[in-house]
Amino acid sequence: MRLLLVEDDPLLANGLSAQLEKAGFSVDTARTAREARQLGQQESYRAGILDLGLPDGNGLDVLRQWRTHKVSFPVLILTARGDWKDKVNGLKAGADDYLAKPFQTEELIARLHAIVRRSEGRIMDILTAGRFELDENRQTLRSGDQTEHSLTGTEFRLLRCLMSRPGQVFSKEQLLDQLYSLDDTPSENVIEAYVRRLRKLVGPDTIKTRRGQGYLFDADSR
Amino acid sequence: MPIAARPHSVRAMLLILLLPAGIGLMALAWIIHGALLERMSTDFVESRLKDEVAFLEHQIRQSGGRTDTLQTGDYFQEVFHHAFAIASPSGQSISPKTWTPLLRPLLSSEQEGAVRVRDAEVPAAPSEMLGYRRAFTVDGNSFVVIVAEDMEALQQSQAELHTWTAVVSVLLVILMIGSIWVGISLALRPVVGLQASLKRLQSGDISRINANGPEEFRPLVRQLNQLLDSLDDRLERSRDALANLSHSVKTPIAAVRQILEDTSRPLDKNLRREMASRLDDIDAQLESEMRRSRFAGPQVGQSACPVKQARDLLWMVGRLYPDKSFELSTYLPEHHRWPVEEHDLNEILGNLLDNAGKWSSRWVELTLGEDQGRLKIIISDDGAGVSETARSQLGKRGLRLDEQTPGHGLGLAIVHAIVERYQGQVHYTSSKAGGLSAVVEIHGSDRFGSRSSN
Repeated sequence: MRLLLVEDDPLLANGLSAQLEKAGFSVDTARTAREARQLGQQESYRAGILDLGLPDGNGLDVLRQWRTHKVSFPVLILTARGDWKDKVNGLKAGADDYLAKPFQTEELIARLHAIVRRSEGRIMDILTAGRFELDENRQTLRSGDQTEHSLTGTEFRLLRCLMSRPGQVFSKEQLLDQLYSLDDTPSENVIEAYVRRLRKLVGPDTIKTRRGQGYLFDADSR
Repeated sequence: MPIAARPHSVRAMLLILLLPAGIGLMALAWIIHGALLERMSTDFVESRLKDEVAFLEHQIRQSGGRTDTLQTGDYFQEVFHHAFAIASPSGQSISPKTWTPLLRPLLSSEQEGAVRVRDAEVPAAPSEMLGYRRAFTVDGNSFVVIVAEDMEALQQSQAELHTWTAVVSVLLVILMIGSIWVGISLALRPVVGLQASLKRLQSGDISRINANGPEEFRPLVRQLNQLLDSLDDRLERSRDALANLSHSVKTPIAAVRQILEDTSRPLDKNLRREMASRLDDIDAQLESEMRRSRFAGPQVGQSACPVKQARDLLWMVGRLYPDKSFELSTYLPEHHRWPVEEHDLNEILGNLLDNAGKWSSRWVELTLGEDQGRLKIIISDDGAGVSETARSQLGKRGLRLDEQTPGHGLGLAIVHAIVERYQGQVHYTSSKAGGLSAVVEIHGSDRFGSRSSN
């Protein structure tokens, strides 16, 4: 399994790459952001380990560049900073997991296997309807003005259901299937609440109400 | 441009605003005074002239139209100080004679009532006069009576009065400037006092600003003092933290160095494990002290966006645990703000969500709400839950309830420490799905007011 390790500390990079090779990976090591950008775009890897603090740039920028160039292998971020905001930013930039230094090699390998397994059979899965793009892997919605909204699980499932067949009316019962909650009998008000929230993201006219029938996604509305 | 060049001193600003306004208003009052004076004197003279005309008419009617029986001559002029002209079928009589060129054209004109003549150039007669003309008939004979007053003299005294008013106005303006100056100086005295205390604060003479200023400055002084409190507090805390840290970190470093320097000693498996555990200790100490020192506690003006932050964190844990569903339930609007520092709220939400993510089987719900000024965060999962007896131990430092998932104890301990700093509470109940429900309550409003008053 080919793996790209981006880490500037030679001691850590050498030790880590030796241990990863022992675990069955074939490891390419990059020491700078420039090298990482190049290797990531030229070669095809199954996974990447990315250190955020690089001598010639920020790891997040490298990651963003990879993702805009359709480099889609799963990436695990390594950093010394364990702030929640950093984690959110890391995942928003396109990472799949996050590990704070120092770490145990077993945990790193376990996490690597997990993100590789998750990414298996995954292609750029993007559902497009009108000016909206729903990224199924990252559970985000990109609208026409290029702003990206992160969605919660239920919001994502409801939107995926509606966007899968734009123009088709989905009844509240059909939509209720997309929702799992702890209530034994989730009420239809819950659906209304979620539709209200989704309308804030996609605009009030994009999800239309058909009285007595249900909801439909109108991809052409402005 | 004049707005851009606005002066930065309150005193100058007030003077620039108040002085022209005061002077302008005074000038306006003076002009209005002049106009009113003019109107009043004209009205007064006019009504007197009218009375006199009525009196003359009465006399003529009583005498049956014989004007010669009237006591003419200088009588009227002497009694009334007015000029008059009477036109009767028997002829015209005008007194005094010098006014004849002025009054004769009026007798033949058709105008009734008040007549004003200005800029007349007749020797020995006034250039300006006000007359009252009345035409009537007695026994079939038509009469015209005009009584007139010299307005020139009146206007002269009027002008004199008006000038005096102007002098008094100027005096008043000077008095006003003085009182404005005194007023501004008195009103700004507390600012000067504040400035002085700030200087003394800088030089170290005092440690807090005296809060006995005027009402308007009290909140400012209170906030400044609170800022100073929190600065002192933070300095003390970071000193303590650094002292603790260096104490607990230097020893393991010394131990590891000792081993590495001793070249004669082989690095066997036991020794390696020993060294790794020392390094782990250092890491744990660093991590816990750093996270502790990072959270801010209650502050002035720091506010978090609970809904936005919650959405981001929910999305993030959703990516880390892709087969579990993380939901948000709140009625708070998207841009609602809470008086909690942003990073602190992230730590509370992040640690609780991460914990719930580890233990849930497939569902976690975060509820944000406000109840009578209390901020409420509830995070529920559908995991195995924690027994009632073990719940009281949750979040206690140094106790790890789980041995499989590392870091569990620290996260909750941090949540407890932050919430304590905000004088709030964390308690745990069982969720409706049988899992754990963590409830955080923090006083939302008036926290700063109640803090500073004790």
